[in-house]
Amino acid sequence: MEKEVGAGHKGSFTAKVLSNQQIRECYYRLNLKLDPIGSRLFETAKPGRFVEIDLAGLPLPPEDKIPPALRDAAYRQILLRRPFSFSDVIFVPGQNGPCVKLEILYCILGPATLRMMTLAGGDTLNLIGPLGNGFALPDTLKKAVLIAGGMGAPPLLHLGGYLKRHRPEVETICFAGAKSCEDLPFTLKIGNLTGLVLEEFDVLGIPSLVATDDGSAGFRGFVTDCARRWLRDNQPNPGETLVYACGPEPMLAEAARLAKEFDLPCQVSMERMMACGIGLCQSCAVEIKTDSPGQTEYKLCCKDGPVFDSRNVIFNL
Amino acid sequence: MEQNVDLTVDFAGLKLKNPVLTASGTCGYADELAEFMDVSKLGGVITKSITAAPRKGNPTPRIVETDAGMLNAIGLANIGLERFVSEKIPVLEQLGTTVFVNVAGQMIDDYVQVAERLAKEKAVAGLELNISCPNVKQGGISFGTDPTQIRDITKQVKAACGHKPLIVKLTPMVTDISAAARAAVEAGADALSMVNTFTAMVIDIETRRPVLANRTGGLSGPAVKPIAIYLVSKVYQEVARPAGVPILGGGGIRTAADAVEFMIAGAAAVTIGTATFVQPDTALHIIEGVRRYCTRKGLTTMNELTGSLQ
Ligand SMILES: Cc1cc2nc3c(=O)[nH]c(=O)nc-3n(C[C@H](O)[C@H](O)[C@H](O)COP(=O)(O)OP(=O)(O)OC[C@H]3O[C@@H](n4cnc5c(N)ncnc54)[C@H](O)[C@@H]3O)c2cc1C
Ligand SMILES: Cc1cc2nc3c(=O)[nH]c(=O)nc-3n(C[C@H](O)[C@H](O)[C@H](O)COP(=O)(O)O)c2cc1C
Ligand code: FES
Repeated sequence: MEKEVGAGHKGSFTAKVLSNQQIRECYYRLNLKLDPIGSRLFETAKPGRFVEIDLAGLPLPPEDKIPPALRDAAYRQILLRRPFSFSDVIFVPGQNGPCVKLEILYCILGPATLRMMTLAGGDTLNLIGPLGNGFALPDTLKKAVLIAGGMGAPPLLHLGGYLKRHRPEVETICFAGAKSCEDLPFTLKIGNLTGLVLEEFDVLGIPSLVATDDGSAGFRGFVTDCARRWLRDNQPNPGETLVYACGPEPMLAEAARLAKEFDLPCQVSMERMMACGIGLCQSCAVEIKTDSPGQTEYKLCCKDGPVFDSRNVIFNL
Repeated sequence: MEQNVDLTVDFAGLKLKNPVLTASGTCGYADELAEFMDVSKLGGVITKSITAAPRKGNPTPRIVETDAGMLNAIGLANIGLERFVSEKIPVLEQLGTTVFVNVAGQMIDDYVQVAERLAKEKAVAGLELNISCPNVKQGGISFGTDPTQIRDITKQVKAACGHKPLIVKLTPMVTDISAAARAAVEAGADALSMVNTFTAMVIDIETRRPVLANRTGGLSGPAVKPIAIYLVSKVYQEVARPAGVPILGGGGIRTAADAVEFMIAGAAAVTIGTATFVQPDTALHIIEGVRRYCTRKGLTTMNELTGSLQ
């Protein structure tokens, strides 16, 4: 008999594109419907995990759709899969178990994401997942402080939705930052009390605050400074509060420092260049402090991470 | 009527189920791969390089993609001999395929120590000697580029291997690869593995710095295949066939057609590396593809394929 591969763990499967919508100049929202194997694998997928997508077979978009800054990159061939987090996982009940829909938010940055622009309803993709460890959600958790920088938002949006569904007692607040308002992968709207809020979090009932480096929306400055102000005013209890951060590495380092200031534990979701995503190649090393003082070791972002306890991470700055 | 194809390969005194193996450094210790396929169907697996002491490896970025390939500078990150024996050997014992352990070091004594210890393990069918890693400052490639040193290290490690076969993995970064192959064979190598990656560099034109933290890395993937084919065919004609020593060929194999090409050039068996990153069960598809090719060509044994270049 054929061995059953991947059941309950991770595996390779196909997904059908339901829609691929442009939400900003450079941001798209991709909705996928997983085949039965993928749906089964995702039954237990926690927020903070990710998938590796094979995009090598996709065509380039027409010349006039290619942003001028990516003209050169467009002609690079792609070989390796690309890692993506998901911003939502939806279970649709069915006769033969649930069918899972996955939402991915992505940013056009290079040859692979450029090709993703061409995806349309009905196309199929090959995915590997769910990969990595996901965010820690201790039973003691009462307050979750989410800090998203730029494209670091997707897994935190998923986390927000997940907490609302499975841990409604947890009070969640989200801080989202970007260089400028155009770089936020979200829809901005005017909230009742706090001014500018993010539609995507608002519909979940999660308050959100926006920061932009250039002040084009919300707080002018770093998202971590915006969060610092709030933490000072609110002084959450360290025993029941967790900071969750995802974004560029300097921002994560700043979030780690901020959490330390308030004596809060902090979970950071890291990114590394990944060749395999499944622990085969050792390309995705993250330097982690060991129990012996002054000693470090490399852990794998794809397998031991991408989420780490910020106190242990040596950031690459 | 359809003929039965016998995919087994006699390789350095071992019987492999088929000629398709996974390459060192691209299949971990094979346990991760087991989640994606039935590893027992492989001709064999080659573990990542093991050194006497654990190695942290290089800082990141350790890889960068290029057109039709990738550069890596992992720096032989591994858990070291002791942990390998206590944690990984029990896993390898259960795989149901032929296991080769790749051995690396900085000095000959390191290699000898690792080889001696691993040769005692029943789960280890043979050793692959890595004298061709381009990403460590000492040892590695520096052994592999000088025939005198190749002879020396091969002789000493072979003596430490007991009855287990020793495969010597050659670097392509030499002017005369046949001289390197000859040195290994004369010193007792039971098989040759070729080729390791090609030293290469990618520069970020914005920062004007190399992308890899190690500055240079080893190029693998489809980009290297035609060069690897040429090198395998050259060593097969000039050294391996006359000496009766088999070649484990690889470099850029993605499809069964690629694997067959290597075998025609002279490889007795092939290794799949970078392609496994893209599709973890590539090796299994290749095994079936080789079978289909043989059926179509009326070949019944792998011997009829190896070195059949016209
Ligand atoms: C765990 C994880 C989750 C991710 N989730 C998302 C997501 O939800 N949405 C999204 O848009 N992107 C996400 N990314 C990043 C995404 O994988 C890259 O943007 C994508 O690979 C770019 O491919 P490309 O060929 O278009 O561009 P490339 O030319 O490959 O890259 C463009 C630029 O991005 C940098 N880059 C590429 N890959 C990485 C990486 N893995 N880590 C750090 N920098 C990188 C490159 O150095 C380059 O400057 C995630 C990455 C990881 C590791
Ligand atoms: C990420 C990576 C790590 C590797 N690590 C090792 C290693 O530890 N020891 C070794 O002998 N070869 C190592 N190699 C080389 C491969 O075993 C193989 O010889 C090479 O990649 C060419 O084959 P390919 O094009 O099919 O990948 C590594 C290759 C890659 C891509
Ligand atoms: S990406 Fe290959 S080990 Fe993490």
